[in-house]
Amino acid sequence: MKEYSLDISVTPPKEYESYFVPVPKEFLEDAYRSDDFVVFTGPQHGGSGHMRLIIRVKGDFIVEVIPDPGYVHRSMEKLAENRLYIQNIPLFERPSIIDFGNYNLGYVRAIEDALDIEVPERARYLRTILAELGRIGTHLYDAGILAVFLGHTTGFMWPFALREYIVEIFTRITGTRITGSFVVPGGVRRDVDEKTLDMIKRMLNALEFRIKKFERVFIRNPTTIARLKGVGTLTKEEAVDYGVVGPFLRACGVEYDVRVVEPYEAYDEIDWDVVIGEDGDGYTRFLVRVEEVGQSINMIRQLVDNLPEGDVLSDSIISFNRKDIRGSFFEAYADIVLPEGEYTTLTEAARGTLLYSVISDGESTVPYRVRIVTPGWMYLKGFMEACKGHRLADLQAIYGSFGYFPPEADR
Amino acid sequence: MAEASLIFILLERILSIFTDELINIPLINPAVEMLLKIPFLNVIVAFILWKPIFHVLILPGLIGMTLVLLFIIYFERKITARVQWRVGPKEVSRRTGGVIQALADGMRYLFQEVIVHRDANAFYFLQFPLISFLPVLLPLLFIPAGGTYGIRTIYTIPAALALISLIPVFIVAMGWASNSKFAYIGSVREAFMYFAYEIPFLLAVVAMIVLYQTSDPFEIVAKQWIPGAVMNPVAFLVFFITVLIATSRLPFDIPEADQEVAFGPYVEYSGIIFGLVMMLPYEKLYLLSMISVILFFGGWNGPEIAILGDLAPVIYLYIKTIVFMCVVSLARSIYARYRLDQSLRLGWGVVFSMSMIALIISVGWMAWLRL
Repeated sequence: MKEYSLDISVTPPKEYESYFVPVPKEFLEDAYRSDDFVVFTGPQHGGSGHMRLIIRVKGDFIVEVIPDPGYVHRSMEKLAENRLYIQNIPLFERPSIIDFGNYNLGYVRAIEDALDIEVPERARYLRTILAELGRIGTHLYDAGILAVFLGHTTGFMWPFALREYIVEIFTRITGTRITGSFVVPGGVRRDVDEKTLDMIKRMLNALEFRIKKFERVFIRNPTTIARLKGVGTLTKEEAVDYGVVGPFLRACGVEYDVRVVEPYEAYDEIDWDVVIGEDGDGYTRFLVRVEEVGQSINMIRQLVDNLPEGDVLSDSIISFNRKDIRGSFFEAYADIVLPEGEYTTLTEAARGTLLYSVISDGESTVPYRVRIVTPGWMYLKGFMEACKGHRLADLQAIYGSFGYFPPEADR
Repeated sequence: MAEASLIFILLERILSIFTDELINIPLINPAVEMLLKIPFLNVIVAFILWKPIFHVLILPGLIGMTLVLLFIIYFERKITARVQWRVGPKEVSRRTGGVIQALADGMRYLFQEVIVHRDANAFYFLQFPLISFLPVLLPLLFIPAGGTYGIRTIYTIPAALALISLIPVFIVAMGWASNSKFAYIGSVREAFMYFAYEIPFLLAVVAMIVLYQTSDPFEIVAKQWIPGAVMNPVAFLVFFITVLIATSRLPFDIPEADQEVAFGPYVEYSGIIFGLVMMLPYEKLYLLSMISVILFFGGWNGPEIAILGDLAPVIYLYIKTIVFMCVVSLARSIYARYRLDQSLRLGWGVVFSMSMIALIISVGWMAWLRL
């Protein structure tokens, strides 16, 4: 393509001075002097989420994307320093409330590590069921967001309707649709009855049937494939360099899953495969998550079938009612003090590796410091790099294929 | 005294012009005859029932179009909701299942503030949505509906298409007058898409004109003892795809992609002006559907209904048009959006080649029929 440059002096608009824009002034002036065009997308935009993307385009091609995250920052780590250990459980599921199982699990395991609590078998299985249900729910949610970014409204409505099954099961198990806070140190809040387990199995059948329909209308849709195939490709090396995590790393061909590398809870007692992609493009990233939904369904079936009998709370936490924590919360948890030291856990949340690091001074009932690294923050860099060189219209497709979730990244 | 009689003579003259081409509907004839005996009122009644005015103002013109727009928006939302496991609009007038939802939305737009932002060129910004009704209403003068017609020439189809082709110009101008980044990107996309679909679209129409050997709709409809869509299916396919592109329906919802450029050229509009510009693609769809029914589905052909007289063909055309629009509106719930370059490739590549094939098929038919 031949370029024709126009020698016209242009001054950057005044709004760049009056608004807070987190890019150097030289960047904007340079873009204005050359043929480039700077587009501000968000935070109030149909395709940006709770963040601003400063996009420099040359013609229709993206030269650079500068993210401006932090619009939903809630200073979770600082808040945690003023709360009891047990009060932090509901706080730390806030980054991604639809995936609360995994978020609870990471934090609670850190406390259990510190206190050396042995978790009963049945509780471990129930925790895994919750984590996997959350994974299915999150992947469906992300598929819906991807679909609406591609303009496919049916692909948006169906996964959200399917997620309603998951949410219904959450209601049966935990009592709330989202933000379950069900995992507590030493087990889970209360036992699950046979009726609920039966319902989970029937729900999985219904879900599987409808996901097949969804596959026909959205996943194998020629327009979807045309929009996602070969778009936003990250090679294996790039993905590792940029620190991409979770299903997006596995889509690039890297076989890394915390559930396999450092198995926790019941993951080493059931049969399942790590889903690996090859191409590392947007469609592979999407397909990996679709496959993971299938794996999770399979896992939950095994877990429900092999659910051992017994208590759901550990002896060392509560001795008189090991089936239900309700009514004994204060007694059991108000005076937890972790021994001095740093306790770190890695968890495979739905969108990737989740790190909790709890630091205790050994004498207070609140943590000295809690560090939480969410997967969203980890793959932001990869997302920005994947956009380069693609068309402006691809920005939303790549965004959707990463399932970037600003509340999770901003914490 | 002489002046008074002069006025009466003039009125008689005017009345005779109208009554010469009065639409003949046996159903309301007794009432019309009674009204025509009343002085002064008879001129008004005759004016409304005069064929060109009836055509442009009532059916299939302005009032008919308004009804279609109100219906098709409701229908589109309802059918999309059915596909998506939802209920769709229901709360406004529950007893009728929310039929007047679009009307309620229009009312809301009417009472909303129209914001003209500081950077906009206010004069053009407000002017273009209003004068964009010109290329919408003028083609209706040319497109006949069997019993009624506005202007009858043998160049009807080219004239109507030329006027419809003006609509994108107004859309691009709206984006320019808005003077905002997303409006600018949307306008550029609209311009690109305009060039991508216009040539195959015109070639498909030309293929049909070659097939019928005329561009006079009366002859075209008379010749369609089998529908044109069967005679030349490739031309119909091209026409259908280009109608989807021309009216910015998914999967070619590119200029006004709300997740990418936030409704593109229309991003800065608000209030009733936004209501007007959002109607524009639907109005275009109505006109193109009418042309497609005339070219491909036998226009106003249908069994005679004695009691409706001249109105029967108009109603046939009207109903066929609505059915065509309903089929087009289904595409929204099935497809995702293509990228600009992909749809340009489609428009200049596959669709363009298909339109050439359609032309060859038409020439083949013509040669075979001549033998």
